Amino acid sequence: MKSIRVSEAVLFVVLFGCGIAVAQLGTGYQAQTLFQMAMMTLLAIGWNIISGFTGYVSFGQVAFFGLGAYLAAITLLNFDVPWYAAAAIAALGAGVLALPLGMIMLRLNGIFFALGMFGLARILQLIANSLDVTGGPMGTTVPVAESPQLTALVAVIAVAVGVLLSHFLSRSRLGLTLMATRDDSVAAEAAGVNTWKSKVAAFCISGCVAAVAGSLYIWNVGYLDPNSAFAGTIELQTVLMVLAGGIGTVWGPVVGGILISLLSTFLWASFPMEQQIILGVLIMFIAIAAPGGLLGELAKRGWLKRQPIWGPPPAVLPQSGSLSAAPEPVQTILLTCDKLGVRFGGVHAVEDVDLEVRSGEMLAIIGPNGAGKSSLFNLMSAFHRPTTGDVRLLGQSIVGRRRYQLARGGIARTFQTSRLFPSLTVWETVLVAASSVCPHRADAVARTAQILDNVGLLQNWNDMPDVLPPGRQRLLEIARALALDPRVLLLDEAMAGMTAQEIARVHAALRAAIERGVAVVAIEHVLPAIAPLAARVQVLDFGKTIAEGIPYDVLNNPTVIEAYMGIEGASA
Amino acid sequence: MTTFVTLIILGLLWGGVYLLAAEGLNLIYGVMKVVNLAHGDFIVFGGLLAFSLYGFIGINPLLSFPVTAIVLLAIGAAVQFGILERIGLDRGDAELRTLLATFGLSYVVANTSFLLWGSQFQSIPFLQGFVRAGPIAIPQALLVCSVLAFAVAILVHVWLNYTMLGKSVRAVAQSGLGAASCGLDIVRIRVLAFAIGSAMAGSAGALLISLIPFQTSSGGELTVQAFTLIALGGLGNYAGAFLAAELLGLVEVMVQYYLGTNAASAVIYIVFIGVLIFRPYGLLGRAVRV
Repeated sequence: MKSIRVSEAVLFVVLFGCGIAVAQLGTGYQAQTLFQMAMMTLLAIGWNIISGFTGYVSFGQVAFFGLGAYLAAITLLNFDVPWYAAAAIAALGAGVLALPLGMIMLRLNGIFFALGMFGLARILQLIANSLDVTGGPMGTTVPVAESPQLTALVAVIAVAVGVLLSHFLSRSRLGLTLMATRDDSVAAEAAGVNTWKSKVAAFCISGCVAAVAGSLYIWNVGYLDPNSAFAGTIELQTVLMVLAGGIGTVWGPVVGGILISLLSTFLWASFPMEQQIILGVLIMFIAIAAPGGLLGELAKRGWLKRQPIWGPPPAVLPQSGSLSAAPEPVQTILLTCDKLGVRFGGVHAVEDVDLEVRSGEMLAIIGPNGAGKSSLFNLMSAFHRPTTGDVRLLGQSIVGRRRYQLARGGIARTFQTSRLFPSLTVWETVLVAASSVCPHRADAVARTAQILDNVGLLQNWNDMPDVLPPGRQRLLEIARALALDPRVLLLDEAMAGMTAQEIARVHAALRAAIERGVAVVAIEHVLPAIAPLAARVQVLDFGKTIAEGIPYDVLNNPTVIEAYMGIEGASA
Repeated sequence: MTTFVTLIILGLLWGGVYLLAAEGLNLIYGVMKVVNLAHGDFIVFGGLLAFSLYGFIGINPLLSFPVTAIVLLAIGAAVQFGILERIGLDRGDAELRTLLATFGLSYVVANTSFLLWGSQFQSIPFLQGFVRAGPIAIPQALLVCSVLAFAVAILVHVWLNYTMLGKSVRAVAQSGLGAASCGLDIVRIRVLAFAIGSAMAGSAGALLISLIPFQTSSGGELTVQAFTLIALGGLGNYAGAFLAAELLGLVEVMVQYYLGTNAASAVIYIVFIGVLIFRPYGLLGRAVRV
């Protein structure tokens, strides 16, 4: 396992070696400058976890900075403990408080989350204003560090720990689920990811990191007041650092932290009044011209590119693999729909549909446009809640179950328009699903390799999905669904836009799955794409079943012909 | 009883000013699906500009608010054309990038105001008397500003609904692609919408500074307030925003009177978080189109 690149290791050692040297040998002024730089970088690392890796841009990260500062100050004022104990309590306290706060805030997204966090910071500031123990709006003094060299040293070490944290986070199961959630949370849920749990975890980690920065801040200055603990300038700098360095990368906050800190120091000396204008203009410029920041620009040239998680694929492919192998001796009924119906307003998208899905066979669901096929799928995969009737997997109702639970529990699906993860490679895309059902990393890796090999995408393992032709993108989506080792596989027009060769690939993969006892339910517009595999066909029109049976009979059924061709076609 | 009635009237009047402050943001969001985080800073800028016009030339805010509106109209057009159009509003990461760009812009505007006017609280002492109706006394300034604010908000509403250009703005709001295929120059219309939205912020600022003092750093709070109102009303929903503005006016006046100023300044944030959690689609249910 090679999880750390030489170039990164060298960068790490050189940067932090320099940092420690300056902290130890530098003057008080140099140490102070270094401390500011390190503290802001730490804050940027924290912001990057929630806003970069998870994609929830926050304009209130300073809430946790202030929270950490206040928790540490209150600890130091009330108990005779050393600074590191106060910092630990601040980190722990902020992490614990972040849990309920995250559960509230993460129900929001986009602008709502960003501004919600801004509001949270202001509310905390108002609370801090009314706290007598910390001197209310006037602030209070707290025990200060012995020397600036010491605070600088501690801050540099904290940043080093922060970098390692985001390095291992970005290459962990959690990191993988965060990036998948950021790219497409619906697809992530369908791949078995509990997006909610991942997001809340990222929020808490991010809050902890910010709180440590806050506690170091008061230890360094020996003073605390609401205006400086929740200052908008801190927020501005944090966001700018991550943007300048490269959002969603391990090194972005560090590179940006160093650059922007140097710039800020210069601006403080030369343009103390115009600082925010210059930094604000810089943010606008990056947002317009280089949203990926410096590292994004470097990655375009192939430098310091993100390494694939848990890759490359093993050289020797596992033969048997970890997929459930033994087909059940008798065909069992896996999934049943019972008088299933859903209405959207006055429209009965699906009405009274009965359906049985048996192990080891393919059921094709066909019907003209607007027949209710995709709605039926959304009901069968718990994406919609039925208004009438029930869907049961092995006798157990799936109504009200969470999507990711269903994905892990036996029902995998694809989407009518492919939903892949734009920033994950082919390998990682399948790994998201495999790792959500395989508790052991080795199993997940083996399964991913095996499935990519089955569908013929192994040689593309390190490609981004957008460079694949459309047919191969669909293939990748099917591979992702198969990686869940489902009992029932729901394919929504999976074969649309594929070449004959790709269809043959899919057929082979599906045939293998069916032989293993998987039940495949396929929606298609046109039957020929799946006719060779389908044991039974059910035809929908206007939300109702109008015919079912073996493909030959159904295709010659006058009602079906009428549904597709109109009355004349039927009589012709 | 008299106190209570007075408070209700005051609340409703404040609602008018809040409405004007929020409607500009609503218009911009409706058309561009962009929340301009510098909106509050635009309001502050407009207000302080009116303050200077009053202080140096002696133009009272009733006359100067069209001037501040025009200045902000120009700034708004420049921002949309020079910044947001450069990002490309149809791209996948557009939401994130516009959010960050206007985040940066808010600091640029706030800092510019700071350079021009310093950080003190400023206000325009204007129409200090009261209008009395029996036992009820209403400050003249509030009455006049509120009526004006309502008038401007209604004017823009009429413009949107009954003029050709206004209708084109609404068409772009509903579907940029559809509007473009009908031959509308959507870039021009987006610039216009952003400019008008900013102009509303500018005029709101001039009226607001005649009522309450504010400083260069008040922008963030005003942005949150404006956003809360349009979120509470249902983003892009004008009737909803009206309802929300009146509601906030009432609640704030009541809290201020019964619980004090400190509690009143927390109201907006508490309402804000509450709205986001419980009514993210606003009071009137799902957002309707402009």
